[in-house]
Amino acid sequence: MWILPVMGLIIGVLIGSALTFQVPVAYVKYMSIAVLASLDSVLGGIRAIMEDLFDSTVLLTGFFANALLAALLAYLGDRLGVDLYYAAVFAFGVRLFQNLASIRHKLLLNYRHKKQRNRGEQQ
Amino acid sequence: MARTWLVPVTIICIVFGLFFSYLIKLQGNNTNTNPLSQKNTNLVMIIRDLEEEINNQENMIEKIRNDLTALQNQNLPFRGKSKELQEQLKEERIRAGLTPVAGKGIVITIADNKEGLKANPQDDPNKYIIHYENILNLVSELKVGGAEAIAINGQRLITTSEIRCVGNVILVNTTRLAPPFEISAIGSPRHLSEIVNNGQLDVLRSSNFPVSLKEMDEVIIPAYKGGLQFVYARPVKEE
Repeated sequence: MWILPVMGLIIGVLIGSALTFQVPVAYVKYMSIAVLASLDSVLGGIRAIMEDLFDSTVLLTGFFANALLAALLAYLGDRLGVDLYYAAVFAFGVRLFQNLASIRHKLLLNYRHKKQRNRGEQQ
Repeated sequence: MARTWLVPVTIICIVFGLFFSYLIKLQGNNTNTNPLSQKNTNLVMIIRDLEEEINNQENMIEKIRNDLTALQNQNLPFRGKSKELQEQLKEERIRAGLTPVAGKGIVITIADNKEGLKANPQDDPNKYIIHYENILNLVSELKVGGAEAIAINGQRLITTSEIRCVGNVILVNTTRLAPPFEISAIGSPRHLSEIVNNGQLDVLRSSNFPVSLKEMDEVIIPAYKGGLQFVYARPVKEE
């Protein structure tokens, strides 16, 4: 069941490495925020699946809105001379770790649950 | 729960992979993506090409000049008068700086004060490099001292030679020069060294620039390699 997302990831990587157009250096910063936002969304989605709270609309809108807003905020910060870029990086970083932690938590719980149930069946 | 999440997660995975690999590629050749340095390398290449062309043209000029000299030195059927004219021409060529010359003289070497800059990295680096004014002053002093021929790093100074500052290089005869600068001059060694020792060299020494002066029995100064064209200047007609 995880084959399709992994395939998607590989396809995305291939497309990305095949792209040849140049982004001006000034905008590389915003690109990196977009990467963080998408990574955050992927992990958030996995977490939601684990917790049975998944909603595709929430995931998709959250992804695009987060990436765009973060880039916009960073841009605004650049205009104003305030390094809002770091705020976005920080926010996404914290969320990344939280998502990872809860995914790990959930996986561990599931694993233990299964084990216990298996033992119960055996007895 | 019929795996409604499969398609959205796949979409996001595609987008994430795209950004991710693209950014990694971008960071990989980060040094080359700087548009300014790209522009600079283009300019440097243009300069190199042009300098090569100047070199070729100078070689051509030299060849033609050699041919010309050979022709001028041929024995002509009319002896007396033409011989005299040939001698006169030779003399004028020496004066114009179109022939290599040798004789007694001095060789001055000056270089940037690298140690001084290392010792005071916070200081203005301009205080520790040789500027074109230093060379200009030295040359002027040598001329006052009666130098008959002067060359800077092998560039013969003639009447049209410039000593000019362009950014952080010095141009002489439109050729870029880099430190250390070796200024050779033919003339009375004692006289020349006295005048520069009491002038510009003294100034440079007091600021701890590495400076050396050698009095030589034979200094060889090359010929001027560039072109000499008079388009506007005409001799005034004598009444």
